[in-house]
Amino acid sequence: MKTASVLDRSRQGFGGAAVFDPEFPDVAGTEWFPADEVRTAPIGLPELSELEVVRHFTGLSHGVHGVDSGPYPLGSCTMKYNPKRNDALARLDGFARAHPRQPADTLQGLWDLSLDLQRFIAELTGMDAVSLQPAAGAHGELAGLLIMRKYFAERGEPRRIILIPDSAHGTNPASAAMVGYECKIIPTTPDGLMDLAAMDRLLDRNVAGLMLTNPSTLGLFEENITRIGQRVHDQGALLYYDGANLNALMGIVRPGDMGFDLVHINVHKTLSTPHGGGGPGAGPVGVKAFLEPYLPVPVIRRVAGRAVPDHDRPSTIGKIKTHFGHTEVLVKAYCYVLTVGALGLKTATENAVLNANYLQAKLADLLPPVFHERCMHECLLSGGTLKVSPFDFVKRLIDFGVHPPTLVGAGCVHFAKQYEAAMLIEPTETESLPSLDSMIEKFRKVAREAAVAPYMIETAPHTTAVAKIIKDQAAYISLLEATTP
Amino acid sequence: MSESIGAGYDVHRPEDRELMLEAIGLASIDELFAKIPRDLRLQRLMDLPPPLSEWELDRHVRALASANATTLTHLSLLGGGAYDHHVPAVVSDIASRGEFLTSYTPYQPEMSQGMLRVLHDFQLLLGRLLGLPRANSSVYDGATALAEAAWMACSIRQVPRIAVAETIWPEWRAVLDTYMDGRGVTIHPVAADPDSGLVAPESLERTLARTPMAALVVQTPNMFGVVESIRPLAAICKAHGALTNVSCYPMLLGLVQSPGEQGADIATCEAQSLGLWLNAGGPYLGVIATRDEYELFLPGRIVGECDDLKGEPALALVKEQREQHVSRDKATSHICSNQALMALRAVVYLSTVGEGGFRRLSRLNAQKAHYLCDRLCSLPGVALAKSGRFFNEFLLSLPGDAASVLRSLRDERIFGGIDFAGLDPRYRHHLLVAVTETRSKGELDRIVAAFARALSAAPRVDAGGDRA
Repeated sequence: MKTASVLDRSRQGFGGAAVFDPEFPDVAGTEWFPADEVRTAPIGLPELSELEVVRHFTGLSHGVHGVDSGPYPLGSCTMKYNPKRNDALARLDGFARAHPRQPADTLQGLWDLSLDLQRFIAELTGMDAVSLQPAAGAHGELAGLLIMRKYFAERGEPRRIILIPDSAHGTNPASAAMVGYECKIIPTTPDGLMDLAAMDRLLDRNVAGLMLTNPSTLGLFEENITRIGQRVHDQGALLYYDGANLNALMGIVRPGDMGFDLVHINVHKTLSTPHGGGGPGAGPVGVKAFLEPYLPVPVIRRVAGRAVPDHDRPSTIGKIKTHFGHTEVLVKAYCYVLTVGALGLKTATENAVLNANYLQAKLADLLPPVFHERCMHECLLSGGTLKVSPFDFVKRLIDFGVHPPTLVGAGCVHFAKQYEAAMLIEPTETESLPSLDSMIEKFRKVAREAAVAPYMIETAPHTTAVAKIIKDQAAYISLLEATTP
Repeated sequence: MSESIGAGYDVHRPEDRELMLEAIGLASIDELFAKIPRDLRLQRLMDLPPPLSEWELDRHVRALASANATTLTHLSLLGGGAYDHHVPAVVSDIASRGEFLTSYTPYQPEMSQGMLRVLHDFQLLLGRLLGLPRANSSVYDGATALAEAAWMACSIRQVPRIAVAETIWPEWRAVLDTYMDGRGVTIHPVAADPDSGLVAPESLERTLARTPMAALVVQTPNMFGVVESIRPLAAICKAHGALTNVSCYPMLLGLVQSPGEQGADIATCEAQSLGLWLNAGGPYLGVIATRDEYELFLPGRIVGECDDLKGEPALALVKEQREQHVSRDKATSHICSNQALMALRAVVYLSTVGEGGFRRLSRLNAQKAHYLCDRLCSLPGVALAKSGRFFNEFLLSLPGDAASVLRSLRDERIFGGIDFAGLDPRYRHHLLVAVTETRSKGELDRIVAAFARALSAAPRVDAGGDRA
C-alpha cells in the first residue's frame, strides 16, 4: 500500500503550533514590501494538528528499516550499531544551541573537542594534520583533491590526471572531475587486485595522484601497496587514501604507514555516527606534514595553550563549507573514540573482519566467494550458481528482516561488468554470533527456496507495504535517453 | 570481553571467537590479516585516551558543552545566514526515531517507503516554498547549494562564466570560489548600490552585456539584510540569455513571493531555519529547486514516483543517471551522503507550523526586527545603513567602534550582532543585527537599554584606546 503524503492529511485551518506573541498583535504583512512582491497566494504547506503530525511520521517510520530494526549487511556502507550515548551527548545545548558566529572565545569547548578529535584521527590514520570541515566522504575527497592540485600548482607542475581503480566508489572520479582532473581508470586483475602493470603504463609525470580504497570495494587488501606507493612517488605523484573501508584496518595498519600522503575518512563507517537515511555525515581529511599548509580553513590549532580556530593560512585551498564543520556529527565520532579507546577500535576491526570471513565460510557452498581468498571486512560472493537472479534473491531477504547486500547498481559501489552477479556483504563489527547465524540461516533458506519455489523469490518481497520495485521500470526510464550535462 | 575494551562494545565472547575461527579454518585472529605486510603493521596500540565509562563520558562531554556559550546563556542577535529560530519539540522527537536515524540512503525502496515519502514531501514542500517544481532531496548546506547551482547553470548554458552579486555572504562566496575554481568557471562581480544595498541593475546590465554569462547568482536577503527585488533582475538576465539563480532565506518567503514566482530559474536556500538547531555551524541543510526542464542538471538524490511489480504506485530514488554511482566523472556532482535527516526535520517542521503558522512566523520575525530597529535608531548617532527594505536582519551604522559596543554588550550577556568589518572591512562602524520570533518584547527592550549604555561607553573607549 502506498504511503500517504503529509499533504494528503492536510485540512485547511489546522496547525500553527502555537505561533503567537500577545505583545506583537498580528498584522496584515503588507507593510514592509512593495505590493507586487508581497505574498498573496498560499504557499501550499500542510495544515495538521500536532497529534496528526506525530502519528503521520511515526507511521512512516514503521516502513523504514534501520540498524535498530535488524541486520543491515550493505557492503561498503558499514551499517553498524551506533551507541545511543553519542546521540544523547551530541544533542546537548552547549553544542546544539551555539551559534557559529559567536565570538571564537565563547566556543572553547568546541575547539577543545575538535583539537582532540583531529589528534585522534591523525593517530588512527598515521597522518600529521587533520581538518574536520568536510561535510561527508565525497566532500573530504574534494578537499583532498584540491589540496593535491594546490600542492602541484605551488610547485609549478600542471599535472592533469588522477588514476582511479575501476572498483572505486563513484565519488572518486566525480570529485576528481569537480577539481578539473582527467580520470584514467586502472583495471582489476582476475584475482581482484589493482592491475600493477596497467598502473605502470598510465603512470607518468602528468599524473597528480592515485586514489585508492584499501581494502578495496571487492573486500580485498591491496597487498602490493608498498610497491604501488613507491611507483607513484617515483613519479612525484601523491597517493590518496579513500577511507571508506578503514574499519577493516584500525590499529592494525595505518594509511600513513602504508605510504599514503593524504586521506579522508567517513565517520559513519570508520567511527560511529548514524547515517540518518542518507546523511548527514562528516568526512575529515588528514594529510602528511608537507601538505598541512593547504588544509581548508579553519584548522583548529593550539596557540599559547589554547585551542583556537586558525583562518590565517596563506596556502589554504580556502573554504569548502560555510562554517566550521558538522559539529553534531563530529561530537558523536568523538564520543565513540572515547568510549572504545585504542583497544576497542582494534577489536572492532578484528570483529569486522572475523564476521565477514565467518559469513563467507558459512555461505561458501551456496554463494561461493568470487575470489578464492579470505576477505577483509566484507565479502564478495557470487550469485552465479543460483536458480534465480541475485537481484531477486536479495529482495527475498527483506521478508526475513535482513537488508539486502550491495549489488550492481543498487548501492554506492561501482562494480565492473564481470561482477554483475556478485553481492557485496558487510555484516559489520557489531553483529554478534547469534545474529550472524540467524542472518546466515536466512540466506540459506532463500537459497533453498530458490531451488524449489523460484516464483516466491522472483515476486519478493511479500511482506512490505509495496511490492518489488524494478528500477528499470521506474518512471525515469524515458529520461535515460535525455541529454545529461 | 575484556573490561579494558570498554562499554561492552566487543560483541564476541572468547568462545564465540574460537568457534568462528574454527569455521573459517584459522587458528588465530592474527591470521585474518595475513595479507597485510608485517613491516607495515602498527607494532603498538594507537595512542588514544583510555576508554571511559558511560558516566565518565557523560561528565566529560557535558563539561566541554558547558564551556561553550549559547543562545540560551546569552541574548543573541546573531544571524549572518544562521538563525536562532524555535524548533518545536515534535521535530527532534520524530528525528530521533531509530528507524529514520539508523537507516542508510534508501537504495532498497521496498523497505524504505517511509523515508522515501519524507524525502519526496521534502522536495514537494521546498519546491512550493521556492516556487519551482523540481527540488532535489538536499545538499550539504546553503553555500554548497549555491555553488552546485552555479555549476548547474554553467552546464545548462554551456558557458563557464557566472555573474555574482558582491553582496552574498563572504563565506558562501569563498565556497563558491573554491567550487568554481575547480571547474574552471570564472566569476564576474555585480556591484550593489551603495545607498540602498540592492544589486544595481546597471551593473548587472554592464556585466551581462560584456560577455555572455550562464547566470546571475544573487542572494536575498543579501549580506546587508536587504531584500532584493528579483523580478527586474530576472528580466535583465532573460534579455541577455542568462539564468537567474537566487539563494534565499526561507523564512522570508512567508511574506514575499518566492524566487520562482519572481522569475528565478534556479533557487537555493539554507534551510537551517526550518527546524534545525544552530549546532555551532552544522549539520545544516541545502536544497536546490529548478524548472521542469532543468531537473536532470540537479545534483544529488531525487525521489520520484514509480510503479511496483503489481502496478501500484510507490517511491524510489530516480534519475540516478545524474549521479556519481552511475555516471562517475560525468555526474552532475560528486555528492553521495546528503542531509536526509535534516530534510526530515524540515518536513516535520513545516508540517507542524503549517501554512498559517509559517506565514505568521514570517510576520512575527519582521515585526520584531522592525520594532528593534526603530528603537535602536532612536538612539543618538545610530542609523540604518542601507535604505533597501529588510526582513529580520539589518545593518546599523554606529557612532562608535562596533567591536567595543559588542564587548560591552557581551558583558551584559548579549551577543549584539555581527561586527560587519569582519564581513567587509570597508564598514568600520557597522553592526549586522538579526531578530527572530524567539526574542520577547521585554528582551528587545532590555537590549535597547544595554545598547544605550554600550554606545555611551564606546566613544570613551575609542578616545582612551586602552581597553583590553
